[in-house]
Parts: sequence; C-alpha cells; structure tokens
Amino acid sequence: MSNTVMRIRLAGAVVAGAVSVALLAACSSPAPSGEASAASCQPAQGKVTLQYWNTVPGMDQVVALWNKKNPNIQVETKNIANDQYGTLGNALKAGKAPELAQIGYDQLPSMRTQDAFVDVSACADAVAAKSKFVPWTWSQTSFGDTGVFAFPQDTGPMALFVRKDLFEKHKIEIPKTWDEYAADAQKLRDADPDLSITFFDPNNAEFFNGLLWQNNARMYGYSGDKWQVTVDSEQSRQVADYWQKLIDAKLVRTDLAHATPPMYAAYEKNQVATYIGAAWGYSMLRDNLPDQAGKWTIVPLPTWGTSAASGDWGGSTVAFMKGNPHLYESVKFNTWLNTDPEALALENKLGGLYPAATAGLALPALSEGVPYYGNEKIFDVFAESSKNIDTSFAWGPTQKTVNLALQDAMAKAVSGSGKLTDAISAAQAAALKSMQDQAIPAAAGN
Amino acid sequence: MADIATRGTRVVAESGDRRRLSDGGPRAGIVLAFLTPFFLPFVLFYLVPIAYAIWQSFLVVRRTGGQYGTSYTTFGGFEQYAEVFQNGEFWASIGRIALFGIVQVPVMLVVALIMALLLDTPLLKLKSFFRVAAFMPYAVPGVIAAIMWSFLYSPQLSPVVDLLKGLGLEPDFLGPGAVLWSAANVSTWLWTGYNMLIMFSALQAIPGELYEAAKLDGASNWAIAWRIKVPIIAPSIILTTVFSIIGTLQLYAEPAVLRQISSNISSTYTPNMLAYAVASGNNYQQAAAISVVIAVITFVLSFGFMRLTSKRAGL
Repeated sequence: MSNTVMRIRLAGAVVAGAVSVALLAACSSPAPSGEASAASCQPAQGKVTLQYWNTVPGMDQVVALWNKKNPNIQVETKNIANDQYGTLGNALKAGKAPELAQIGYDQLPSMRTQDAFVDVSACADAVAAKSKFVPWTWSQTSFGDTGVFAFPQDTGPMALFVRKDLFEKHKIEIPKTWDEYAADAQKLRDADPDLSITFFDPNNAEFFNGLLWQNNARMYGYSGDKWQVTVDSEQSRQVADYWQKLIDAKLVRTDLAHATPPMYAAYEKNQVATYIGAAWGYSMLRDNLPDQAGKWTIVPLPTWGTSAASGDWGGSTVAFMKGNPHLYESVKFNTWLNTDPEALALENKLGGLYPAATAGLALPALSEGVPYYGNEKIFDVFAESSKNIDTSFAWGPTQKTVNLALQDAMAKAVSGSGKLTDAISAAQAAALKSMQDQAIPAAAGN
Repeated sequence: MADIATRGTRVVAESGDRRRLSDGGPRAGIVLAFLTPFFLPFVLFYLVPIAYAIWQSFLVVRRTGGQYGTSYTTFGGFEQYAEVFQNGEFWASIGRIALFGIVQVPVMLVVALIMALLLDTPLLKLKSFFRVAAFMPYAVPGVIAAIMWSFLYSPQLSPVVDLLKGLGLEPDFLGPGAVLWSAANVSTWLWTGYNMLIMFSALQAIPGELYEAAKLDGASNWAIAWRIKVPIIAPSIILTTVFSIIGTLQLYAEPAVLRQISSNISSTYTPNMLAYAVASGNNYQQAAAISVVIAVITFVLSFGFMRLTSKRAGL
C-alpha cells in the first residue's frame, strides 16, 4: 500500500472499472468442483517454472536473486497492480491462474469462497512454517489452522504518527488512550483554530476496519454450518460512537481523502497534527512531506482503556493458487521469499514491505534509527504493535461489498445525514445480503 | 422553407442508398471481403459479449456444503431482474442521472449550437483558432479531464477556490448538493466542442444559394440563423441529443474520479458505477442484469426520442 499504489488507484481504478464493466460478459461461471483438498507434495523431476503474480515494486529483483541460486526452480513474476483481483479472478475462471499470487488478508476468505486456493498441508515444510510468522497472520492464512493456503508476506500494524513540534509548541501531551486523544483534539483546536488532530476519511473502510480490529470487534465467525455475521457489535458501535462525537464537534477534518494530494497539502500547511497509520505509512510521509523531516515521531496507537491491543491495516499474503502442479517447489520458493533475511531485506528496501515473518522484525534496516523521524527506532513501535494484534479476528467472504456499503454509509454520516452507527448496521445488512446473493450460508451472530 | 430544405437532403440520401443497393448483388464476394474485417471483431467483441451478458443475467449462484462450499450457477429466470428492480440504490442512481441529463444535456447542446452558429457567421475572425480551441477538450481523455478538474475543485489545492474565498465567498464544489453539478461541468467541458463540431459540419454543408435567396427576400442574419440554419441542421441536433442521452446513462469516469476526493459520491452513484461495484463483489450475474436494464433504458430513451422528434420535424 505504498503511495504509488494509491496514486495508481486514482487513475487505474477508473480505467479498470470501465474496462471491467465491458469485460463482465467475458467472465464465465465457475464450474462445480471439489473443495481444495490436500494434494500430494512430491518434488518434480528436472526443471520447474513457477508463475508468481504480485503488486510489489521491485519484486522482479528479489525473484532474480532466487533464480540465480535455484536453476531448477525458476520463477517468473508479473506485476498486476493495475487490477489485482480482476486479473486474478479472470485467470481463475479461465483456468490459467499462476502458481502463486499476492492476496490481501481481507480478501483471503472471498478468494477461498471462489475456490481460488490449494491446500498445501501435505508439504511438511509448509506446516512447519507456522512458527516463522507473527501469530495473527498465520491464523488468517491457515483460516484458523484448517489448512495451509498462503504464506503471510507483509503486515500493516497500526501506530500513531505525531507532529511532536506542534504538541510541544502548544504544551500538549502526546495521547496514550483514545480518551486523551479526544481531549487533545479540543486542546489543539483551542490553541489554534485552524488545527485539527486528524482527519476521518469515510471512503476508507480498510482504515476503519483496522480501528474495529483494535477494539476486539470480531466481525465474522463460523458455527452451526453458517457464517456468523457480527459486524454490528458493541465493540464496533463503541468505535463508531467515538468518531461520531469528534465529527459532530468538528474536531476532525472530514474533507480529506487518504493519500491524496489534498491530504498532503493539509499536512504541508500544518493544519493536521497526527496521522493514524500503519507500518507502510512511514515512507509515505517521508516521501510526500520532505519539509517536515525531524518533526514527526511514532508512538503506539491510543488504547481503549488499559488494553494494549492494536490493529492491522493492509498487508498481503502469497497464496498457493488452485491447479498448482508444483506444490513442493512452490512451498520452497514461498518459504524463502517470506522468511529468508536476505529476501526480506530486499523487499523492505525496494517495496517498503514490513515483514510478517518474526525473523524479519530483526532485520538490520528495521532495528536502526530512521533519519526522517529524528533517528528514532520507529520500527520497535510497529514490532510491539504487531504482537498486540488480536489473532481471532477474521474477514468475511464478501468483504469488498461490505467495505463499499460501510463507506457509502459513513460518507452519509459525515455529510450530516445519519450517524456512523448507522454505517455499522448498513455494513451488517450488506454482509448478510451479499452472502445470500452468493448462496453462502449466513446468519446474524451475537 | 424548412420543409423544402429538409426534403432536399432526404432526396440526396435516398438516391445514395439506391445506388449502393443495386451494386451489391453481383459482387457479393468482394463485399464480403471488405466487410469481414469489420464483422468478425463486431461479432466476437460486441454481439457475443452482449449475448453472454444476457445469458449471465438469467443465472443465479447456488452452493453446496460447508463454510467454503462449492459454487455453481443455475438458471434462475428473472430472479436477478427482480433484485435489480427492488434495489433502492439502483433507482436512486437512475434518478441522479435523470436529473443530471435533464439539466446538463440541454445546457451543453444550446452552448454547442450557439458556438457552431457563431463559427458559421462571416463576422467572426480567427475562425480556425476558435474551432480548434473549442474542440481541444475532446482530445483530452475523460479520466484526465476529471482529474484536472478535481484539482480545481479541491479546497486544498484549487486556485479558483482561493480566489473565491478572497472575494468573501465559501464555495464547496464537492458538497452533497454541488458535486453532481461539478461532475456535469466536467462533462460539459469535455463534450461541448465535440457536439459543436458535428453541428458545425452540418452547417458547412448548407448550399450558399439558400442564404442568397434569403437575403434577397430581406431576411436578417438572425432570421437566417433561426429560420434556415437551425431547421436544416435539425437532424444533427437530434443526433447529438441521442449521443448525449446515451452518454449520460453511461456516466462513469467523471463521478468515479471525483469520488477519490469527495465522499459525497457513493460507490453506487450512477448505474454504471453500481454495476461495477456489484461486479467487484463477484456478483457477476446481478451486474449483468443491471447492465441489461441500463441498455434497455438507453434503447427506449434514444429511439423514443428519435421517433418523437422525427415525427415533429417531419423527417
């Protein structure tokens, strides 16, 4: 989720959208087929070539390093950043999916619902890889230890980016809890009428989901042969209420969209004092607000009461795709790609990835001070955040539709017609409706 | 007068048709050779996808067993269509573009017509400059135009907003009430020159003798424009109106780009955006049904308009 990705989104999404509508008809319906069962894991004779589709800048160089060392397992990459899931969806339907593909955590259940993956638990190395990753990531790629469908690649543990110079100037303490954060919002405004503590972008469900995750809001479960939809819960309403109060008091900006030129302009003009972000955001601020070097610090996300819980925003996995004939080789490459220190260092340097592998958190580049942040060891904060992320959180099988419904309703709340809690119930309704449309057994849980 | 003129063009058109028809028969092979490069892609990339979309719109998804059970599609009759017609978002999006079209299309076409008539008067200097200048926006891809305009609308970046604020105004181009018209403005900017050019080329085809005759009869420039030029180019005006109706119903790029900076455009703002949102949620069958309904509405409106106007204009 680098800034480039965001910018591409602006133009790319539109073009892709127009094209997809046109291509709608070209997509065929999936034929009935068995649930991905554990296939055998025999090494192939001779040379093998694997396809690996992803959206990470510089990934071709990482793969080139592997190819040099492994003449018998050659990997070809393809960048599908323009329309990641559209490209993969079409390839799956055409039976031409790559062996390995990048999938965001929140899209894993949706892709599995489309029968996109193969279970590689027949490979001993795949099962053993569990210990190498941050716990919550493995619980998502293994769907709660029911198989091995993907390896975690990178994560976006959340933290609070703070303009320490502004807080110092107005003699305000950096907040540790959400209550303090709200109080500071008022103090900053009192000190400077043009200053807001942050902005709330209603068109960013991924961000809001991260905040829900932090507050232990478990949006989906599975029991009694049905998905249990608990998007609408006490915990999610608490988060919605909190932000509604800040919006009503006009203490947060609602006119800025995340990672767009207007957002950077507002930060540039010193109108916004904090940025609630994820690990990948460190380079985003560094690259887009070069004049503010030394003015930022990164602290843990404000907490609900005394709980140290954090949330995740973004990050991806490398999934084993359906029809993959080379499971053994795919596991070998995927293990190297996502746990080998040399590979992780290169991915961090070229693609800005914050690794999901525990070994990655100890990379030299991630234990040093970062000049833009006054030489602070900012990655320690993200490593700590990563440990405090709820491992039981699960995404739904129609997450994209639910996100869109949440966004549309949050936008209404922000423009004054409705409340953010209405958006929570709208998202709950959309989850049930979209699952019904896809004939996925679901019920409102509690 | 109008009647004579239109009947004149009609005679020309008919004799043209007859010539083509009489040549066709004996040289079928040659005709086929010339038409294949057109018809093959036309069938493959136009007719087949349309037929496929219609087929998809009659299917529903079913699933067997478990949390991640296996899906298959089966014939569901009009089930998807029933969903479309019961979908409040769909009707809201239709209402939005209806409002958009009722205001934007006439404004754009009147401006285009005035510009075409001005370009056609002998009074105007620097004609080719104005013609190219007016047509220029059409050369800018729609997405790029929308991105450019979004920079002019954004309160954080726009010099226009700064200027208006300096004058004591508080413009909000992206607010809940204004954003539809901000999108309409982008469409108007993009397409006025294109429509003007169609009307202008029709004006160029009017024989000069008509003007001479009118002048001898003592008609003013105003009367010539209103009584001769406009009636003669009526078919072109109808054509541009039909194009505009179709364009409005398929509105996508402008609101989709503005959506990136304004939360007042929902993911289901126009019918096409709704179809895209539904498709991106893997509900291809429902998206196909929405697309078919949009297509039918488009056909009904554009052919309805053509019938209505051709009767009126006596074409």
